[in-house]
Amino acid sequence: MARYAMVFDIRRCIGCHSCTVACRTKNELPMDMIYNPVTTVGPTGVYPNLSMVHLPLICMHCDNPPCVDACPTGASQRRDDGIVFVEDKKCVGCLACVMACPYGARVKNHESGAVQKCDFCKDRVDEGKLPYCVLTCHQKARVFGDLDDETSEVYKLVNGERTVRLLAELGTEPYAFYIYG
Amino acid sequence: MSQKHEGWGWMLAVDFFFAGMGGAMLVIAGIVDLFVGEGRTSALASFLGAAFMALGSGLLIFELGRPFQSWRVFMNPRAILTVGAWVMSLAICAGLVYTTFSFAVFPWSDWVLVRKLVAVVIVVSGLIVATYPGVLLGRLKGRPLWVGPGMTSLFLTSSLVTAFAAHILCGMIVAPATIGDVLARFPAITAVLLAVQLLLWVSYMWVKISGATEAEAVAARRLLCGEYSSAFKYGLMLVGTVLPLLLVLVSSPLYQAAGAILVLVGGFILRMLVIYAGGADRTWLPGEVKYRSRLPHGDEAFMKAWNEKEFWTTNK
Amino acid sequence: MSKSIDLQQEGIEVKKSCCYFCHQNCGVLAYVKDGKVLAIEGDPSYPTNEGGLCCRGNIALKHLDHPARVNYPLKRVGKRGEGKWEQIPWDQAMDEIAAKLAAIRDEFGAEAVATAGGTSRTDDWARRRFMNMFGSPNCFHNSHLCWIPTFMVETAIYGWCPFDLDLGASRCLVLWGQNPGASSMPEMHHIRELQTKGLKVIVIDPRFTETAAKADLWLPLRPGSDLALALAWVNVIIHEGLYDAEFVTEYCEGFGELADHVEQFTPEWAAPLTWLTPEQIRESAYMYATSKPGNIQWGVAIDQLGKSAGAAMHARALLRALTGNLDCPGSDLLTGPSQDSITDEEMEANDMLPEAQKAKQIGADRFKLITWPGYGRIAELAKKHWGKAPTAEWMCEAHPPSVFNAIITGEPYQIKALLVSATNPVNSYGQSKMTLEALRKVDFMVTCEYWMTPTAALSDYVLPIAGALERPTITNSYGCADFLLCSQRAIQPMYERRNDYNFWRDLGMRMGQEEMWPWETVEDAYHYRIEPLGYGAESYDEFVDLYRFHFPEREYFKYKRIGFGTPSGKVELYSSTLKDLGYPPLPEYAGPVENELDDPELAKEYPLVLTTGNGFMPFHHSEHFQIKELRFLRHEPRVEINPATAAELGIADEDWVWIETRRGRIKQKAALTQGVAPRVIVTERGWWFPERSMAEPELGGCLESNTNVLTSVDDEHCDPFSGTWANRGLLCKVYKVNGADAKEGK
Repeated sequence: MARYAMVFDIRRCIGCHSCTVACRTKNELPMDMIYNPVTTVGPTGVYPNLSMVHLPLICMHCDNPPCVDACPTGASQRRDDGIVFVEDKKCVGCLACVMACPYGARVKNHESGAVQKCDFCKDRVDEGKLPYCVLTCHQKARVFGDLDDETSEVYKLVNGERTVRLLAELGTEPYAFYIYG
Repeated sequence: MSQKHEGWGWMLAVDFFFAGMGGAMLVIAGIVDLFVGEGRTSALASFLGAAFMALGSGLLIFELGRPFQSWRVFMNPRAILTVGAWVMSLAICAGLVYTTFSFAVFPWSDWVLVRKLVAVVIVVSGLIVATYPGVLLGRLKGRPLWVGPGMTSLFLTSSLVTAFAAHILCGMIVAPATIGDVLARFPAITAVLLAVQLLLWVSYMWVKISGATEAEAVAARRLLCGEYSSAFKYGLMLVGTVLPLLLVLVSSPLYQAAGAILVLVGGFILRMLVIYAGGADRTWLPGEVKYRSRLPHGDEAFMKAWNEKEFWTTNK
Repeated sequence: MSKSIDLQQEGIEVKKSCCYFCHQNCGVLAYVKDGKVLAIEGDPSYPTNEGGLCCRGNIALKHLDHPARVNYPLKRVGKRGEGKWEQIPWDQAMDEIAAKLAAIRDEFGAEAVATAGGTSRTDDWARRRFMNMFGSPNCFHNSHLCWIPTFMVETAIYGWCPFDLDLGASRCLVLWGQNPGASSMPEMHHIRELQTKGLKVIVIDPRFTETAAKADLWLPLRPGSDLALALAWVNVIIHEGLYDAEFVTEYCEGFGELADHVEQFTPEWAAPLTWLTPEQIRESAYMYATSKPGNIQWGVAIDQLGKSAGAAMHARALLRALTGNLDCPGSDLLTGPSQDSITDEEMEANDMLPEAQKAKQIGADRFKLITWPGYGRIAELAKKHWGKAPTAEWMCEAHPPSVFNAIITGEPYQIKALLVSATNPVNSYGQSKMTLEALRKVDFMVTCEYWMTPTAALSDYVLPIAGALERPTITNSYGCADFLLCSQRAIQPMYERRNDYNFWRDLGMRMGQEEMWPWETVEDAYHYRIEPLGYGAESYDEFVDLYRFHFPEREYFKYKRIGFGTPSGKVELYSSTLKDLGYPPLPEYAGPVENELDDPELAKEYPLVLTTGNGFMPFHHSEHFQIKELRFLRHEPRVEINPATAAELGIADEDWVWIETRRGRIKQKAALTQGVAPRVIVTERGWWFPERSMAEPELGGCLESNTNVLTSVDDEHCDPFSGTWANRGLLCKVYKVNGADAKEGK
């Protein structure tokens, strides 16, 4: 069984928001829903000694997902390959998962009443394609793959580069890894 | 529509208020029945205990994005909300059954052993209902105001104190089945619990500000000096805690009733504050606050224009 | 809800299309069924974007059938700008327009008809072909602001404009007023990739841009002081012995004159002008001159300097020659025009325009470089050297502000008609109030557009134009590259939209040009252009399906075989071509158009330094403000201010502020950032508000936040070589918006 993960190379991200827009159009999301914002930290320092990084955010597809535990209906699920998703018809929109997610990855769709989130484009992944944000990223700042496969690029990056995980101290075991360089 | 992170609203706060109070009212009724000689509290109180919980659950259903699917919340036994839903259902039923023992029309009204068994059930289930919202919130790792065990004791205390106040009021309307000096002690107990509530909040804020993460300190400070500070200081602390503490100690039913009502007001304010102040805050990731603050809020001219279907075709 | 479309279903065709929202033209795969595009994706096998698409690329389907698109020919029925239109058939529109143009030609001469264009999003050779046969020399774009002056100065000096096509072997890249991190995603990717392999990147930019944040060296110069920096670099490279002695001796002319000329321009001289230290200037000059081979990528900031632009391009161009970074592996390559296909210039029929008409081109008397006098000379040299010339549409243009001025004043003669294609001049050309006055005043105006822009709203006819996915595209850097990348249309134009090519052809057919337009469709014309490549494709579409690209074999050191395309056959450091046109043969210093040294009185009233015109995601020039999937990212215009300056002015983050120059004031929202120097103000370009009324007097709020209200097209501020106007290095003041004006939408 695969274990899917995404690696973000912060050295490459330029904060162009392509992924945000690509995801929004691909998934036909209403205006108030963003699966994958890219924040900007900086410029920090005092002119002209500055630095600036951009931080792409997404559902972290945690190994220990608090949203799945919090969901009273069983709509929030984690597949064996690690993809966390919402089974739309089971969701009642109680927002327990929204409140449980420390990463702000979940949003309620006001049109349907249900909660939605990034599902790593599981339909595409099941067809052997990349998640759309990964394909669309010009800068190749996103790498997606199977962490159980020792030949995969994500395996090499996670085991070869210095990666960090966001809010790792919460014990959610996110499967999104960040290379700060 | 707001791009800011959205959370639970007032209906959940009201649910937590009524469910907590209702659950604790049953706890008190049960304990008095089981442990205080022949003491029985007002039938109105045990009925209202169940009714309040039912009212709370009803509101909770409307808070859902898809209310007609609400039965699904019973489906995931690992989720606290599911456990809460089951226990609350049990408590409501048990509370109603327990209330029937006060009325001779029911043939079983003198089956003492059964009544005592039902009392055990309402104590246990009521206690869980009064406690679990605190556990639910305290487990949310990304919510700095809530996270930790403190919320549990705050919610339990508030549930109990509002329940005592409700019992006092119910006792004034419908006399208890057996008048001992039980009910007369409730104002004093209420006062003690209010003092405990005051102490708990002071220590809760102290711990949040000094001991824990920066995000928790920020969240606590928002309650103390931010947009919610007057509701917290004057609403919850002064009107909802200190003032009723003084009033219930006056040995006049009128003052005690007024104090009891203020306790209920305080309990309501507490739920609203905790839900809104805590729900608006997350442990923000780097750069996230600025990112979200710059997104449209929904009231901008372009948003308003574009929400009207015909806009583009007429503006050509 | 996630709308999953089954792309494996029967009947789906995958079309090799491209993105059309900037001239990178990233490859796109369009999934088409029954004449409808179901989905698009970046084309992973396209050499530049490798599957990537930026914000703009990703909204192609939103753009394709947006409810605000103009889908039918519209004829004005009310007063001009009143917003009342009648939908009419294409044939009627074309008949009426042709009749009107013919009448104007008969009464006022062909030169009374002018055309305005935007960035390369059209088949501009077709427009030029029509105009040449119609007899008017007054075609223009805002190409003045976009690399074209640079192209012509560089061509004057070494016979063609070099491209950084061999970056893979380069060791140093200079991005001079260029921010690929916000404007050209594929380039940024390749630069970052090469940086990991040791490429050094120098970014010269007053802003701490996306690209500056990743640079090895960032030179935050004073806006508009590029010329001083370039001259100081030349000084360091010559006087500290960093130049390529062998190349200079053997292949350059005028080294001695140049060396004498730049002796005065030391880093110490340049430091107070550029706000850099002499050490920063030296260090950067050393880095470029000693990390060889090196490149200076095309960027447009220098084209937008106004008065000092020509000299700055000249000085910058000299750097390549002095260091020998020309046409050797890894350096900037002098490819020359395409030898294998029919170039844009060859499609333009420039011979058809009589000399007498060429002489009437507006602006040619003052700004000779990119009008017929300069273009004619340089094209002649290029034809002699390469056998082909640079594209005239772009490189040989009427001076836009002078055309607008001619509409208003009737000097030097009255312009009666303006055909506008793919541009919204109110927002894109300089000094908007003047431009708007001209658009209101011109007798007859036709706009070919996707949207009802402020300019379209003032037109007599608005014609619906096919956009991305509805047209084929040849990408070849304004017709000046030796390679080409081809894309096919995914679907036929929706509703009654047509390709701009067909607009010009249909107009030509009605005006007696039948024999000159043998190609019925764009594909027919493109097939004619690619046939000489020798692939043997039966049609253009077949070529795209089977081959799609053409990259000729690379020949380095062409100058060893054929010399340079200048009168002397060498690199002319001392430029005889510029001298013949009446310009200084060596770059002479001039300060920024408005500055505290030349005009201390002005600086007292307007103490801050303004720079405008930088590109930013997710918009492109003045486009895309109506697409909500993009607008949500930046729904309000923002002006960058250093927090220290803002504190002095009592301005807080997110406050609405007025930015005012001598030309007027606009309103944007303060974004406090350390990314600009104190005293520097950076405004966003392009802004108008399609959600507002598009009728007079509101016109989509086209002056309210539009940075071109602030820019200057005064003759004294324009570059004497090219006439390019001043977007950078202007003086301004900034103050808080108070009262009712502060509300959004007011």
